[in-house]
Amino acid sequence: MIDFGSFKARDCGGSTRRSFLRTAAAVPVAMATGLPTPEAIAAAKSRAKAKSVILLWLWGGPSHIDLVDPKPDASMDYRGPFGTIDTRTTGMKFTELLPRMAARSDKFSVIRSMVNSNNGHPGAGTVGVTGFEELPGPVQPNFGAIVAKHRGQDGSLPPFFYVGRGIPRDLPRRIEGYGGGTLGKAYDPFLVSASDRGEVSIPTLKMMPNMSPGRISDRRQLLTQLDEERYRLDAAKVEEWGHKYQSAYGLLTSAEARAAFDLTQESKKTRSSYGRSTFGQGCLLARRLAEAGVPYVQVNWSEYVETFTPGGDWGWDTHIYNFELLQDRHGPIFDRAYSALLDDMTERGLMEDTLLIAMGEFGRTPRISNRAAREHWNQCYFSIWAGAGVQAGRVIGQSDPKGQRPVSRPITPLMAGTTIAELAGVGAQQRAELKVLDGGSVIDELF
Amino acid sequence: MNCFEHRTFNIERSTSNNECKARGARTSMFSVECSMFDVRTGFVVFLLSLSLLANAHAEPIRLTTDGALKRDPCFVENGAKLVYCYDEGPDLVRMLQMKMDDRTITPVFEDAGNRHNLEPAWSLDGKWIAYTQCTGNLTARLVIHNRAENTDAFITHPGRGGTRSPTFSPDSKTVVYAFAETGPQQLWSVDTAGKNKKQLTECSGITNWPTFTPDGKTIVFANSRENNYELYSVSPDGSNERRLTENTIMDIRPRLSPDGKRIAFVSTRDGNYEVYVMNLDGSHVQRITNSEERDDYPAWHSNGRQLVTVSERDGEFDLYLFDVEPTQLASRKIGTSLDVVPKP
Repeated sequence: MIDFGSFKARDCGGSTRRSFLRTAAAVPVAMATGLPTPEAIAAAKSRAKAKSVILLWLWGGPSHIDLVDPKPDASMDYRGPFGTIDTRTTGMKFTELLPRMAARSDKFSVIRSMVNSNNGHPGAGTVGVTGFEELPGPVQPNFGAIVAKHRGQDGSLPPFFYVGRGIPRDLPRRIEGYGGGTLGKAYDPFLVSASDRGEVSIPTLKMMPNMSPGRISDRRQLLTQLDEERYRLDAAKVEEWGHKYQSAYGLLTSAEARAAFDLTQESKKTRSSYGRSTFGQGCLLARRLAEAGVPYVQVNWSEYVETFTPGGDWGWDTHIYNFELLQDRHGPIFDRAYSALLDDMTERGLMEDTLLIAMGEFGRTPRISNRAAREHWNQCYFSIWAGAGVQAGRVIGQSDPKGQRPVSRPITPLMAGTTIAELAGVGAQQRAELKVLDGGSVIDELF
Repeated sequence: MNCFEHRTFNIERSTSNNECKARGARTSMFSVECSMFDVRTGFVVFLLSLSLLANAHAEPIRLTTDGALKRDPCFVENGAKLVYCYDEGPDLVRMLQMKMDDRTITPVFEDAGNRHNLEPAWSLDGKWIAYTQCTGNLTARLVIHNRAENTDAFITHPGRGGTRSPTFSPDSKTVVYAFAETGPQQLWSVDTAGKNKKQLTECSGITNWPTFTPDGKTIVFANSRENNYELYSVSPDGSNERRLTENTIMDIRPRLSPDGKRIAFVSTRDGNYEVYVMNLDGSHVQRITNSEERDDYPAWHSNGRQLVTVSERDGEFDLYLFDVEPTQLASRKIGTSLDVVPKP
C-alpha cells in the first residue's frame, strides 16, 4: 500500500505548522536538471563496485560498549549489565543484545575505532554524513548527494533516498548536512517512509503549493485513485503543481517506482523477518530500492534523536534508560532488522554490488552516568560494513580496555564517506572535480 | 556484595543444582525439570512420555492480534482484567486494559495525552495504580494514582532520568521502585501518598524489577553486580540475601507467583529472550517458552497456573497466555479447567 499523504497532527484548519515545515524539508530532488547524460550514467555505474549503497543511520548515538564493543573486564562503572556472547568471528564478541548479528558476523566487519570531531547531535550528524563540520561553512554535501550527483538518475527513481519519518533532527534543529550542501538542493534526498506495518508514504505529496489545507482532502482523494486510474494524473496537468513536485508525481506514474514502494509484493515471511518496526520495514524498503537500482539509500532509525520524550520516536540518544531501552527496544529491533536485511540481500545476490553500512554519529560515554545511563561520546564509536567487496568477518580497529579511545588508527566519518564514494564509483578525480571529500582517504583495512 | 547492608551473599545450592541451572531448560519444551536427572533412567523416560503427552495440547492462547510492540502486561482485579502497554504509534506508548471475559480493550486513562505511560502496577487492594510517566525530554516520574479520588502523587527529581519498575507491597501501603539518583540504580520505597521516600539498597551495578512475595517477607529483584543481571531475593530489612541465578548472561524481570512460591523471569540463556519459572529458592528452573523469536514480560494470572507474555511471532508482538505446571514434576493436560480459556 502506498499512502499519498495524511496528516496525523491536525489543528482545526486541517494541518499544523509542523506538517508544513516537515513537507518543506522533504522537498524532492529536482533531478531533471544538471544530470549526467545516459552514457555518463552508464559509465559511472560500470565503474562502481557498489551499484547501490544502503546506510543504516543509527541516529542519536548508539552505545558501542553495550552492543558491538563490550568491555566485560572493565570495572562495574564502565562495563554495563549485559553479558557477552561469541560471534562467528574470532576475537569479536558482542553483547547478548545482538544474537542474530553474532550468528552472522562472518558476513560483515566491525570498525571499533571511529571518532567524530563533534559531540552534539546536529553537528556530529552533519560530520557523520558529510565528513565535515557545519561551520565555518558552506555545509558540505551528504555522501548520498555526492553519489547522486555522480551517478545521476537512471530511470524514474531518484538516486538518493531517505527512508524515515523526516529529516533527522533533535528537538532544536535538523542536521544541516542532510542533503545536497554545496552541490545544491537538487541533490537533496527524496523522502519516503514506511510504517511498522510496511505502509509506504511519500511525505512530499502531503502538501502541494497553492493549496489550502482544506483542499488537501480533495486532492488526496484524487490521488488515492491512482492505483486504478493512473491516467488521471496526466489529465490533471501535473505542471500546475509545480516543477519541484514533478519527481514525486512522476514516481506515481512509473510502474518501476510504484513497484519499488509496494512492500506487499514481498512474501509474508520476508516482511515478517524484518520485524514489526518502522526501522525494520524501512530496511525492507531500502532493499527494494537498491534492487531497483537506486544508488544511495539512507535509512534513518528515527527522526528525532531523543529517546524518551513526548512525541519522540525512540532515537539512540539514551541519556535516560540506556540499559532498559537497549534491552527492551533498540537492541532487539536492530538485531532483527539488520540480520534480516543481510540475509535477504545475500539470498538475492545483492551483496556483491551493494554496500551496507550501519553507524550513528557517535557512541556513548564508557563511564555510566549518575542516572544509570550513558551520555554522548564522540571519541570512540563503531560502524558496521558489509558487501561490495568489503572483507567480512573482521574486527577493524581497537578501542582501549574501557572503550574510551581508539588504540589503533582512528577512523573518521570523512574516511567513511570517501570509502563509500570510492566504492560507488566516485574516484579521486571525480571527487576533486566535484570539490567534495577533500582530504579524505579510503579505509584500506576494509579490503 | 549484598545490596542491603553490604552483606555477603551465599549460594546455598548444590553443585548439581547449579549444573541444572546452567543447562537451563534446553529440554524444557518437554517440561522435563532439572531434578528429573537425578532419578533412574526408566522413571525419567516414563515421566518424559507423560510430559510429552500432556504438553501436546500446550498451545498458548493468543490474546491480542494487532501485532504492535507491547510491554508490561499485568493481571488486575483478580484476573478479570489484563493491563498492558503498547506502541499506539511510532512516538507514543499507551496503557490499555483488556476485559478477559469478552476481550474488549480500552485505555486505562482516557486523558493520557501524548505522554508515554508504562510499567503499570496495581495494588492488591485495587485502590492504587503506580506507573512510569514520561514528563518531558529525557525525564520520567513515578505516578501513584488514587483510583477512588482520581488524584495523583508524583515522585519527581531534578534533571534527566526516570524511575523504573514500580511494584506495591502486599499491604498496598508502599511502592518500591528503581531509580538512579546519584549513581548506581537502587531500589527505593515511598508510601502511596508519595511521602517517606527511602533508599532500600546500596550496591554496585544496576538494580531493577523488584517484586514482593504475598507475605511481604521477601523481595526478589535483579542486579548486575556480577557482570550481568542475576536474580536475588532478600528480606525487606536487608537480611537473608540470596543469589538465585548464575549465568553469564541476563536473568531479568522476576515476577512472584500469587502463592509466592515461584518466580517467573526472562533469560537469554538459551540464545534469545525466553520465559522461565523457578522456585523461590532458585531451584527447578522450567522453561515456559521456546521460540526463535522473543518471549518477554511474563506476568502471573491470579490463578497461579498461567503466565501472560509479550511474544514475538512472525515479527508481530502480541500477548500470549501460557500454562505453567502447577507443581514440580506434575503433568496436567494443558488448556482445560483453567480460568482463562480460548476466546470462542
